[in-house]
Amino acid sequence: MAKRKLAGAKKPAAKPQTSAQGTGNRQGSKLANLQRRAPRLLIMDADEDNEYDDNNGFIDDEAEEAEEDEPEDESDLEEYDGEDVSEQFEGLLDGVISDSESEDEAGDKASEGDGEENDADERTQYFGEDDEIEEHEDAAEVIINSVSDDDEEDEYLSKYSAASDAESLSSISSDQEDSRVAYYTTGADGKPRPIYHEIDPHYSSDDSDLEDVNTIGKVPLSAYDEYPHIGYDINGKRIMRPATGSALDSLLDSIEVPEGWTGLIDKESGADLKLTKEELELVKKIQLGENAGEVDPYESTIEWFSSKTEIMGLSAAPEPKRRFVPSKYEAKRIMKIVRAIREGRISPNKPKVRPEDEQPVYDLWADDLQEQQPHVMHIPAPKVAKPTNDESYNPPEEYLPSEEEINAWNETDEMDRETDYLPRKFSSLRTVPRYENFVRERFERSLDLYLAPRVRRNKLNIDPDSLLPKLPSPQDLRPFPIKCSVTYRGHKGRVRAVSVDSSGLWLATGGDDGTVRIWEVLTGREIWKATVGDNDEAVESVEWSPVKDSGILAASAGEKIFLCLPPIFDDETEVTGQELLAAGWGYAAQPAPVEQINKEQQCKWIKPSEKLASQGVDVVIVCRKTVKQIAWHRRGDYFTGVSPEGANMAVLVHQISKHNTQSPFRKSKGIIQRAQFHPFKPMLYVATQRYVRIYDLSTQSLTKALQPGARWLSSFDIHPQGDNVITGSYDKRVTWHDLDLSTKPYRTLRYHTRAVRDVRFHTRLPLFCSASDDGHINVFHGTVYDDLLRNPLLVPLKVLKGHTVVQSLGVLKVAWHPKEAWLFSVGADGTAKLWTS
Amino acid sequence: MRIKKKHQAGAAKNFITRTQAVKKLQLSLADFRRICIFKGIYPRAPRNAKKANKGSTAPTTFYYTKDIQYLLHEPVIQKFRDHKIFARKLSRALGRGDVSDAKRLDENRPRYRLDMIVKERYPTFLDAVRDLDDALSMLFLFAAMPASDKVSARVTEDAEKLCNQWMAYVARERLLRKVFVSIKGVYYEAEVKGQEVVWLVPFKFPQNVPTDVDFRIMLTFLEFYTTLLQFVLYRLYADAGIVYPPKIDAAKVQGVGGISAYVMEGKREKESLLQISTTTKAITESEMASRAQTIATVLNKITDRVDGDVIATTADDEEEVIDTLDKFTALPSTDTVISDIIPQPDETLPEDAVKTLFSPFTFYVGREVPLEIVEFTILSLGGTVVSESVLDGYLHVDTDALLDAEEVDFDARQREVDALLQKVTHQVCDRPALASRVPGRIYVQPQWVFDSLNRGRLVPVDEYAVGATLPPHLSPWGDGAGYDPEGIGKEEEGEESEEVDEEAESDEEEIEGDVEVEEEEEEEDEALQHQRELESEAKGIIYSSAASKKRKRADKKPKKSAEEKQAEEEKELRKIMMTNKQKKLYNQMQYGIQKKETRRETLKTKRRKLEKNKQNKKRVL
Repeated sequence: MAKRKLAGAKKPAAKPQTSAQGTGNRQGSKLANLQRRAPRLLIMDADEDNEYDDNNGFIDDEAEEAEEDEPEDESDLEEYDGEDVSEQFEGLLDGVISDSESEDEAGDKASEGDGEENDADERTQYFGEDDEIEEHEDAAEVIINSVSDDDEEDEYLSKYSAASDAESLSSISSDQEDSRVAYYTTGADGKPRPIYHEIDPHYSSDDSDLEDVNTIGKVPLSAYDEYPHIGYDINGKRIMRPATGSALDSLLDSIEVPEGWTGLIDKESGADLKLTKEELELVKKIQLGENAGEVDPYESTIEWFSSKTEIMGLSAAPEPKRRFVPSKYEAKRIMKIVRAIREGRISPNKPKVRPEDEQPVYDLWADDLQEQQPHVMHIPAPKVAKPTNDESYNPPEEYLPSEEEINAWNETDEMDRETDYLPRKFSSLRTVPRYENFVRERFERSLDLYLAPRVRRNKLNIDPDSLLPKLPSPQDLRPFPIKCSVTYRGHKGRVRAVSVDSSGLWLATGGDDGTVRIWEVLTGREIWKATVGDNDEAVESVEWSPVKDSGILAASAGEKIFLCLPPIFDDETEVTGQELLAAGWGYAAQPAPVEQINKEQQCKWIKPSEKLASQGVDVVIVCRKTVKQIAWHRRGDYFTGVSPEGANMAVLVHQISKHNTQSPFRKSKGIIQRAQFHPFKPMLYVATQRYVRIYDLSTQSLTKALQPGARWLSSFDIHPQGDNVITGSYDKRVTWHDLDLSTKPYRTLRYHTRAVRDVRFHTRLPLFCSASDDGHINVFHGTVYDDLLRNPLLVPLKVLKGHTVVQSLGVLKVAWHPKEAWLFSVGADGTAKLWTS
Repeated sequence: MRIKKKHQAGAAKNFITRTQAVKKLQLSLADFRRICIFKGIYPRAPRNAKKANKGSTAPTTFYYTKDIQYLLHEPVIQKFRDHKIFARKLSRALGRGDVSDAKRLDENRPRYRLDMIVKERYPTFLDAVRDLDDALSMLFLFAAMPASDKVSARVTEDAEKLCNQWMAYVARERLLRKVFVSIKGVYYEAEVKGQEVVWLVPFKFPQNVPTDVDFRIMLTFLEFYTTLLQFVLYRLYADAGIVYPPKIDAAKVQGVGGISAYVMEGKREKESLLQISTTTKAITESEMASRAQTIATVLNKITDRVDGDVIATTADDEEEVIDTLDKFTALPSTDTVISDIIPQPDETLPEDAVKTLFSPFTFYVGREVPLEIVEFTILSLGGTVVSESVLDGYLHVDTDALLDAEEVDFDARQREVDALLQKVTHQVCDRPALASRVPGRIYVQPQWVFDSLNRGRLVPVDEYAVGATLPPHLSPWGDGAGYDPEGIGKEEEGEESEEVDEEAESDEEEIEGDVEVEEEEEEEDEALQHQRELESEAKGIIYSSAASKKRKRADKKPKKSAEEKQAEEEKELRKIMMTNKQKKLYNQMQYGIQKKETRRETLKTKRRKLEKNKQNKKRVL
């Protein structure tokens, strides 16, 4: 019973709902059903002991029948106070419940026959409507119905015990028409008055006011301060003031912070203003300025304008003309194409051809012009060299490389190889393999064609011999020395000096063994010998005096110059010679002036020692430094002695007739190599290392300085006519200077492989020669023309080879025969040779 | 007076560096390379690089400024630019997956043609012929190349086609002058329009393709060469009165391929040729046995060069022959036509003997012989070729015929072939030995064909017999150093024989010395001889001329050399008077001469050594 009471306590709120359940479950929405089911389920659990009734369908039917009458009393019921009604109901219920069970059984049996049919109908209808819910909630629903009906039935039975079955049936049909009626009460007139459902104020309802909300309108709540209620609900019932707790309670409330608590008081209801989660969200959205309404930002689009033809179009504009008139423009375009096709300009459905194939081939050179001269700057690519025998698959055997050649080929870098293949031999054609580098070679050729810079090289397609100068044949320029006819042997060591006397019969030589020897030219017999060098001093120079029939021979060894009279001539000659040499003693005997002291210090004319005198030496001149060269003046009175180390006194001019010595230069001009008198002018030629200086002795001035361009001159000679000079140098050069032309050489010749030791002009014939350390003597023809416009003609005539090179010294000195085209040479091999034509 | 600025004129203006050129043309380097290859523009080496480079001595590539200036207006360059845009559009379309768009773009891709460039580079036809060497060598290489990702099959196919057209032309006109089988490949020289054209054909093996070879460059060259050769061939064919491009017999391409597949069709005698050739029988036959045509065309190669009239007449005369041949030929046989050729006026020239060197012969080429070389050579010399490999297919295995096996009558074929084989005069064979020989045939190795052409006469066959050690195959262009292996052989033989004679003589002389005296032509001083005679008489010995002869021989050599010596000496003396410049030049020339000389000498000495070794071996044996 306690459970029943619980249900009873809920009655004022639950009653209309339960009644609605009974009738409206057929037409009400599923949602409504579900909403209402939740509280009922609780109730159902409580009424478990009523299961027996639930299984019994009859009760339902009876309850419904009872309900049919009830709504009529609606008006009466509304008049009651809420309290009264509830009290009334409670009282009724209490009374009813006590005897309900006994009557149940009786009623059930009475309405058994047709009740079953109705039940079945109702159920089918119900299930038809709520297919989905039915499956799950089937059992529960039945229970709900039974429970809800349980209460109503009690009520009904208590009030209308006398209602017949027929009436109830008709009332049911009317009930189905007016579904808004919740139940009926007995009105004031005794007729049943329907009590309507409370209006569910959903969106579509005409009254937007909430049911529970106070309906006091704009009257401020403060007006009800004196009353226990605060207003009225929609049914006109008072809404009681909610109990306001003590300050402590409110404090506790505030501490607990119930759900949705805001700390505010609702102005309308005076209660705590509680906000649901959704409401809070809404507030938040408003604060943020977002769209507060329930607007879906991702609404599906509505296709106002679609392909669908609407019955009622959006636009009422009439169809434009262009929609149904053919386009003139298009017709124009089409006609254009049609015409093109007709004329054959366009061929539709042309078969697909490879683009390469459709390139037409035609006679490109149809208007072949005659051969044009190619552009001057055009350089055609050179053709590939033609293959030679060694590329053959079957070359002659001598082309096959030897082992070493193969190795050498393999070792050399690919770039440096002369051929890019090695010759191979195959016995037959079928054995020849592919060539590995074929593609690469073709590729390299391509690269050459477009990458290699081209340059036009004028290939000299000339016979190399045509480069040789046209010269008269040496055979036409005879006589000149050709062969060695006499060799003068006797000297030990090198022979350094040679001279032929003016008659051409006697040859004087001097060598490293310190002897001066005289030979008979034709026979090669040594006739006279004098040892002049002390302590193995070499005889550096030997020169016969140019004075005819004087027989004076000047020789230098070390610092001394010896003037000899070899006893080979007849008495007459000897006497003249002695006279010439002795003439000076008178001067020397005189006391020397003060200024001459210096000179005396440089050079001293003394009488030879006994030993020397017995050998034929008449006068000895002692100089300070080694005298390397002696050169006579053409008259035979003067001669120069050159001692290269002598600084400013390197060149001294000695006078025989007065036994006097002069130093022509005050200052040194470098290391003097040679000095020579002009053949017929009063001029002195002095060769330093680099230059040949020409001094005019009469004016005592420098007239010219020749620049042979050599580093170190070894020798020079003056042409008998005086206008040409040849020089020889240690840097292998022989130069010909034409004094009329320039100080630079007219020709510079380089043909010796070693240093040139001596150069010499023939005094009568147009011949000159050069002797070198390579052991060769080159004989030249050198014609000097009187015509100033004609250059001298130089023709190499002969290379005389006969001297052996000893210690890298070859021919040291040469001398021409005064009359014949004979040449005397002396060399480091200790011999003198006569070369004749 | 205005002051002249530096680098404003002369070399600095005439030459332009590559970078400048590329900038001026607004091209990428790759496009610049392409246009340079097409237009034949090449770098130059200015006489003074420093002046050309405006004072800088940095190594630079120079182009002639005017070359580049001409390029500015080149239409092909515009096409390059268009192509760049096209490539961009295409890649965009492909990137978007817009296939139809890409296809449309690709169909309308910018294309350029090189014919005007060819004309520009070679203003006259002869210029073009003169420059064919590289073009042919390149095309023949690509014809032999395997198709790969770098070289498409189409490229090799095109190259092969052009090469075959060229060879067909040369063979038909009999222009081949020299052939040289080297280790690199086969060199041919043809005389086309009076110009020597030399090209190199690799052996028919798959080529070794190095990885570092840039095929873009090669293909650019090939593109130009292809165009060049197309136009040259057109002109050549037109001049020869043949239709270009020649028809290709598809069946023959499947068979042996090569030049035999080309039907050279005269322009004028088209009809007559057709009349003769298209007997229904022949057509059915040829359809039935496609292989047979390979033989046929081999035979046919030269037929069409004759006037239509001639063929018409010969056709009547030699009906029988033609009939028999028709069974396996589409066109009349060579022999019939050749025999009736009216001698052309140019064939009276002596060198034209080469053209008809092989015309009376039919060659049976063994299957081990590289057919393309031998066939081309023989056909160019007027010969007829029957290939063993073709006959093999014709007689025994026929894949085409297998499909309709009932139609193949091998017996009939055998009979035809037998008739053909009866005509064979020479068999080209490259085997160590032959199992059986057909009497009446001359067996030669392939080198005989080449040597005969190079010599211009039929070389004695015995040296080239089957299994024989071949005589050396010499280059028809001779030796670079001027060494003549054959000449030296003769020289040596001469010397040897002399020596032998000498020995014999000296033996004889001892017995009958006096006889020889009369023969001697004494150049010696009579007095000297008299003196000697007297001396010998005094000693009691009969003065034999042998001694004098020997002495004379001994003297003769030095005497000769003395003269030479003198001349040499004189030369040396004259050299003294040369200026420095002349001397340098002279020495440079002497360097080359010397090098050749040493090469000749080494070869000679080697040869002598080899000869001696051989003789020694002979003696030992």
